[in-house]
Amino acid sequence: MSELSRRGFLGIGAVAAVGLSGLLAACSAKPDAPAGSSAATTLRAAFAGGGSAETLNYFVGPTALDFVRARLVHAPLGAIDPAQPDGVSLGALESIEVDDDLTSYTLRLRDDISFSDGSPVTSDDLLYSLRAPDALQGLPFTRLVGRGFDLAAAETTDARTLRLPTVTPIADGRLLLCQSMLVIKDGTTEFTPATPSCGPYLIEGFEPGRQTVLRRNPDWFGEENGPDEIHLLSVNDAEARVNALRSDGADFVSGVSPYSAQLLAEENGFTVSAGEAPYLSNLRFEMNLEHEPFRDERVRRAFRLAVDRQAIVDTVYFGRAAIGNDVPAIGFPSYDSSLEQRSHDPDEARRLLRAAGHDGMSVELTAGPELPGMVETATLVVENLREIGVRATLVELPAGQLYADYEAYQQLPFAAGYNPPAPFEANHTPGALPEVDTLVATARSAPDAAQRTDASHRAQRLLWEQGNQIIPVFVPTVDAHTDRLSGVRHLQFPDLSAARLASA
Amino acid sequence: MTRFLLARLGTALATMAVLSAALFLATDALPGDAAGAAAGADATAEERAELRERLGLDRPVVERYLAWLGASLTGDLGRSAAAGRPVGEMLASRFGSSVLLVATAVVCIAVAATMLGMPAGLRSGRPVDRLVSSGTVTLLALPEFLLATVLLAVFAHGAGLLPAVSLIPLGDSPWQHPQALVLPVASLFLAGVGIATRLLRAAVATAAESPAVEQARLSGERGLRLAWSYVLPAAAAPAVQGLAVTTAGLLGGSLVVETLFDYPGVGSELARAVAYRDTAVVQGFGLALAGTALLVLLLGDLVSGLLDVRSRSAAVTGGRGERRLR
Repeated sequence: MSELSRRGFLGIGAVAAVGLSGLLAACSAKPDAPAGSSAATTLRAAFAGGGSAETLNYFVGPTALDFVRARLVHAPLGAIDPAQPDGVSLGALESIEVDDDLTSYTLRLRDDISFSDGSPVTSDDLLYSLRAPDALQGLPFTRLVGRGFDLAAAETTDARTLRLPTVTPIADGRLLLCQSMLVIKDGTTEFTPATPSCGPYLIEGFEPGRQTVLRRNPDWFGEENGPDEIHLLSVNDAEARVNALRSDGADFVSGVSPYSAQLLAEENGFTVSAGEAPYLSNLRFEMNLEHEPFRDERVRRAFRLAVDRQAIVDTVYFGRAAIGNDVPAIGFPSYDSSLEQRSHDPDEARRLLRAAGHDGMSVELTAGPELPGMVETATLVVENLREIGVRATLVELPAGQLYADYEAYQQLPFAAGYNPPAPFEANHTPGALPEVDTLVATARSAPDAAQRTDASHRAQRLLWEQGNQIIPVFVPTVDAHTDRLSGVRHLQFPDLSAARLASA
Repeated sequence: MTRFLLARLGTALATMAVLSAALFLATDALPGDAAGAAAGADATAEERAELRERLGLDRPVVERYLAWLGASLTGDLGRSAAAGRPVGEMLASRFGSSVLLVATAVVCIAVAATMLGMPAGLRSGRPVDRLVSSGTVTLLALPEFLLATVLLAVFAHGAGLLPAVSLIPLGDSPWQHPQALVLPVASLFLAGVGIATRLLRAAVATAAESPAVEQARLSGERGLRLAWSYVLPAAAAPAVQGLAVTTAGLLGGSLVVETLFDYPGVGSELARAVAYRDTAVVQGFGLALAGTALLVLLLGDLVSGLLDVRSRSAAVTGGRGERRLR
């Protein structure tokens, strides 16, 4: 009979502990990174995705991963490029010509572009691609072209040319066409790895919410010489993405929080990069004109003067953001950079509030974590408003709720929001200031370029003087990667097609 | 026994039915809907209305629930409002991974809780008990998020021994990459071992004072034999029930761990679906978790009934052992 002693039990415990740690050690014995091959020409890039609900149909996918994957697999018509005279650089298209009266656009395809099944890309494919967001019931943001062009009346004139009439005369059609339109094959209704495509990469494998393996398209018409394979990893949590980078599970991660970016920038072996204008989202605070105090222009001006923009850029974004001037679309060709930068002037703000008879007014600011730093910025704005005597409070919503109930959102007296990078005129929401609406219509349709610019600038000045939005800051998508990686281009989302990965 | 089983299964089914209605109504009661979440800020009012109609969200909630219920009884769990993927497919791709994660953690917890709870319970009030009790209370007080973060800092970032994120190569299952399981399992283990040990310790302490054990002790039984043959059988029934409760808790509690390690399980999917107001996915994943929890609790009751010394001895002597199972 064995004596059950404390030592005996501790002995069993020790055996168990050794067993458990042995199991742990056995499990950790394989040092290989689970994300895949570490070959020099395989790039592992992590983005926020849509979990197991993900599909390859980019018309219904709103995440960064959907966007990046689609642009690698399907050739874009072009990209917004303020350095070019027309404001766009072309991809699948050879040219976009506009009639003098701005009522019709002529799109011409390159002659060296074909699908992965060997068939050439024709104007029928181009027409189908433009109609597909509507035909395949795409999410609203994919349907911008259909708002400006009469797609039903569009017609092909030869195998490579398409004539595209506009709904009303518009001068910014090139921007609409190149903002996010991609080329797919005529008749495509389902998106699988086998679906013919004509982008720089072909889909080798796909598992929703986990990984997409892309292999370079040998017939790609572009000159880019990117990695042989790109593994797009779907990692939803921003901190998990950074952890993947730190533990060599990924070479590139997108959507890094401002604080993590600051920490990574100080570490060896990593590079932090941020998008630049025009690829910046505007973080805005909308003063609802239905809310009585905001009908007074002096109150709106007071609120704008109260906000310490530099403090937001410095403390929330650690310098990785651009100061806003209450006018949207910074960096786009028509952005009026001659407007005086709004200063931080709490004394003048207090004076304006007193003059308007709203000294000590109460207001509730609603915000949610929909854009990095949105809640933190809103917190600072509330502090700034308290400094000028406004009894301001912050209502913080859980993730996803801010826009989910859009009707309720529109009723809020004072709410945070954001818009992804997009040209001002085409994305202007009419209603607040009728004079601005008229000027925007002229800015889009006047036959003379100087006239259009003049109207746009006048509209922006009015928004700057009387508008109901505070745009204190423009926020980039912040990415981080190992020092071995270079050549990533920052568009609205990172373009990996020309990335280069040095061997370890 | 059959009557007991049928009664319990009937209760479980009724619970699931009530739960499905509650989940559906609760998701619907959240501000906003999937159409609003999908449309974003730049959609026009017409585009929003069209999206709402296409997703069927313009219909009354009761009508939508009954339609979902009817379809789900035929095995069709509906489609995700996000991109139209069938919920059944989504569930199939994730559920096994979560079960693997929780089951591995529970096995580790069962071993550790026995090793720690037995000496503590047998030597109630003595130094070993105090040591185990203070250790488990400390673990209970620490949130999972903190435990997982500390593990990450030490084993992934500090020592570089284990991957910080569960990136599983295409086509593989987590069990083929045990190194990716270690930190998520360890986090769940630490989150659950405290409560399981305390439950086992209490069961052992009660059993140790039972007349049967006392009699065995008086008959000269000592040490491991006493623990193994008398205390453990007496304590096993409540201990198994305790473990079942811990398991059910871990099923729901894996959300934080899955998110932090990007482990491809159901917890993180459920969180995303709620944020997206994806009712069909919340239903499918929520009910799968609830069903599993009910099943685990039922199994716990069954096993503990079979293990119960009193009912077993009663059964052996021709008594009504099933009474214990009521």
